[in-house]
Amino acid sequence: MSGPAVSWYLAVAAFLFATGALGVLLRRSPLIILLSLEIMLNGANLALIAFSRHYGESSGQIFALAVMAVAASEVVVGLGLIVAIARRRIDLDVDKLSTLRG
Amino acid sequence: MIIAAWICLVAPLAAALLITLLGTGISRRAAAYVATSSVLGSFAAALVVLAKLWGESPEQRSHPSTVWEWLTAGTFHVGLRILVDPLSVFMMLVVSGVGFLIVAYSIGYMDGDDEERRYFAYMALFVFSMLALVQAGNYVILLVGWGLVGLSSYLLIGFWHERPAAIAAAKKAFVMNALGDATMALAFFVLIQHRHSLNFPDAFSIGPGHGWLVNLVALGLLGGAVAKSAQLPLQTWLPDAMEGPTPVSALIHAATMVTAGVYLIVRTHAVFEHAPRVQELAAGLGAGTLLMAGLIALVQTDIKRVIAYSTMSQIGYMFLGAGLGAYANAEFHLLTHAFFKALLFLAAGLVIHALAGEQDIRRMGGVGRLMPMTRITFLIGSLALVGIPPFAGFFSKDSIIASSLGRGWYGDLLFTAVLAGTFLTGLYAFRLFFIVFPGEPSPFVREHLMRGSHAHGQEGAHGEDGASQTHGHDVHEHAGEGPFSMTAPVLVLAVLSVIGGWLQFAPLWHPVSNWLEPVARPLAEPTNTQEAVASLLAFLLGLAGIAVATLMYGTHRLAVPRWAFGQRVLEHKFYFDELYDVVFFRPAVGLARLFLRGFEEPFVRGSVGGVAESFRDLGLLTRRLQTGLVRTYALAIAASLAVLTIVFVAVR
Repeated sequence: MSGPAVSWYLAVAAFLFATGALGVLLRRSPLIILLSLEIMLNGANLALIAFSRHYGESSGQIFALAVMAVAASEVVVGLGLIVAIARRRIDLDVDKLSTLRG
Repeated sequence: MIIAAWICLVAPLAAALLITLLGTGISRRAAAYVATSSVLGSFAAALVVLAKLWGESPEQRSHPSTVWEWLTAGTFHVGLRILVDPLSVFMMLVVSGVGFLIVAYSIGYMDGDDEERRYFAYMALFVFSMLALVQAGNYVILLVGWGLVGLSSYLLIGFWHERPAAIAAAKKAFVMNALGDATMALAFFVLIQHRHSLNFPDAFSIGPGHGWLVNLVALGLLGGAVAKSAQLPLQTWLPDAMEGPTPVSALIHAATMVTAGVYLIVRTHAVFEHAPRVQELAAGLGAGTLLMAGLIALVQTDIKRVIAYSTMSQIGYMFLGAGLGAYANAEFHLLTHAFFKALLFLAAGLVIHALAGEQDIRRMGGVGRLMPMTRITFLIGSLALVGIPPFAGFFSKDSIIASSLGRGWYGDLLFTAVLAGTFLTGLYAFRLFFIVFPGEPSPFVREHLMRGSHAHGQEGAHGEDGASQTHGHDVHEHAGEGPFSMTAPVLVLAVLSVIGGWLQFAPLWHPVSNWLEPVARPLAEPTNTQEAVASLLAFLLGLAGIAVATLMYGTHRLAVPRWAFGQRVLEHKFYFDELYDVVFFRPAVGLARLFLRGFEEPFVRGSVGGVAESFRDLGLLTRRLQTGLVRTYALAIAASLAVLTIVFVAVR
């Protein structure tokens, strides 16, 4: 087994997660928030795989696969909503989208 | 014979069930015929029982029959048990015989009513209940019948359920009867505790040792009898019960159900004889009621209410007789009263029917010119009611009056009251007769009776077209007294009101007394002298009443003495309704209000409602947190995650 130690991977994962979280908290466009969410998920995936390698177990990789599947479906739903909102010519601003009533 | 008795009991029930279950599957007319023929069947079966019983020696005329052990609790058994003995056969004949005539009358009277089938189902149910009451072989079946007649009475008083007054009257009757049912049930509980049996012969044998106990039982029974028979102090429901159809008034509230109290006293006379004070109380209540009802009848303006008060007064006579131990005389008066009072009601029904439901005698007058048959039959009924020989009332009433003689000061007091009652009877009966029948027809009567077809009022209307065409001013051509099914029972009852009394003439022959003697031996037989004195006085006073009525309401039309206070008291029926309103109703409502304000609102609503409201407030508070701003949520999640992580690390 070669390559950097697992802590490096975790550092990159934490960086990715923090970047994503900041994006979710600071940006207003739902599209960007969705992208930031994906970055967070990828950070989590990286951490899962790193631990999987570290402990020589496969369950972390299976979790990562499951997370990818969930992320894909979430993007479908999220983008669908965004397209629907855009087609109704409503501002794509999450602070304005605070009520469910049209 | 037992089979016949059971058939007699079950036939009307079968008819009621049949009509109810078939619903609209049979025509209205068919329902009427089913009910009528079932009651006729009962009467035939009762006749068979009578014939069989007649052939036996008097000591053996008592046949209990149990078909089913219904209820068993330790050594206490109650079966579905009937008792066939002279008294029950006597009552079976009265109930089914008069019942048949009245149900047959209803065919014409109720013709065209929207809910004819329901009416006949109720009528059949009533006859069944009444037969169950009189045939019962133990107190439980008696109470079942007692309750069921109350129920059918309730249903039939409120038959025209779209009238608020009818519904109110039905409720009043039911509640007042329920009071009597309750006291009876309490008496039965005492009996169960001390006798371990409610079967008739055993339950009667309360020894004289249990002084207060037997008084308690007798009082309970008297309570039931007083409520059912509309005697003081539970009499106020009977006049209101006149809201029902007239045949119902005739059958239930004159001929049969209201006399059940008399039957009860006679049936349980052994209990009452051990409690002589209670029995005297019964006689006193009867005397009080007959005076009071006679006075109130003087000022009533509703034709049916006058007769209702007269019923109350006549039952007062029966109570007096039963209370004095003249059981056979009370029962005999029950029989003749069933004849002439049913006759009066049915004849009044003919008038009401012809006048399209009008019951106010102030608008009537001169009806007799246009309804000669009704006039004659009503006159016969009135004469029988007053007790003029040779009509039925004379023979039965005078024996009761005579039995109060020779009983010390109490008997003399009752005797005086009864004689005064006889005078009042003559007065109110003929006041009614003179106002309604003789003379020139009033404009109202003219309008209704001299047109060809009768206006179809709500009191039912008969489809007798063509028979009564307008014939100019020749009023005698008018034949609109009602269809055959209505006039025939009236005629039969008129004949019975004439000859029914001849069944027993105390000094010469007394088959009724002999027949009932094995069941209820009279406490005292009035002597022939007493009979003669009582008859003479009652006859003269009755005549005097008629004479005064003739002077005031008949040909001479003397001014009726007005005494404002007295009139007001009588028109308010001695303020009994008002009294009960003040004594029972208002305190109950006041107490309920008090509980509402003092308990319900602060405690019940304070606890249950308070809990609910606090949750609601909590919800209002937390609602503010839900802003809809997604980034705030995300921040909250991130912050709480950070806090959790810090705590987790720190604790570690």
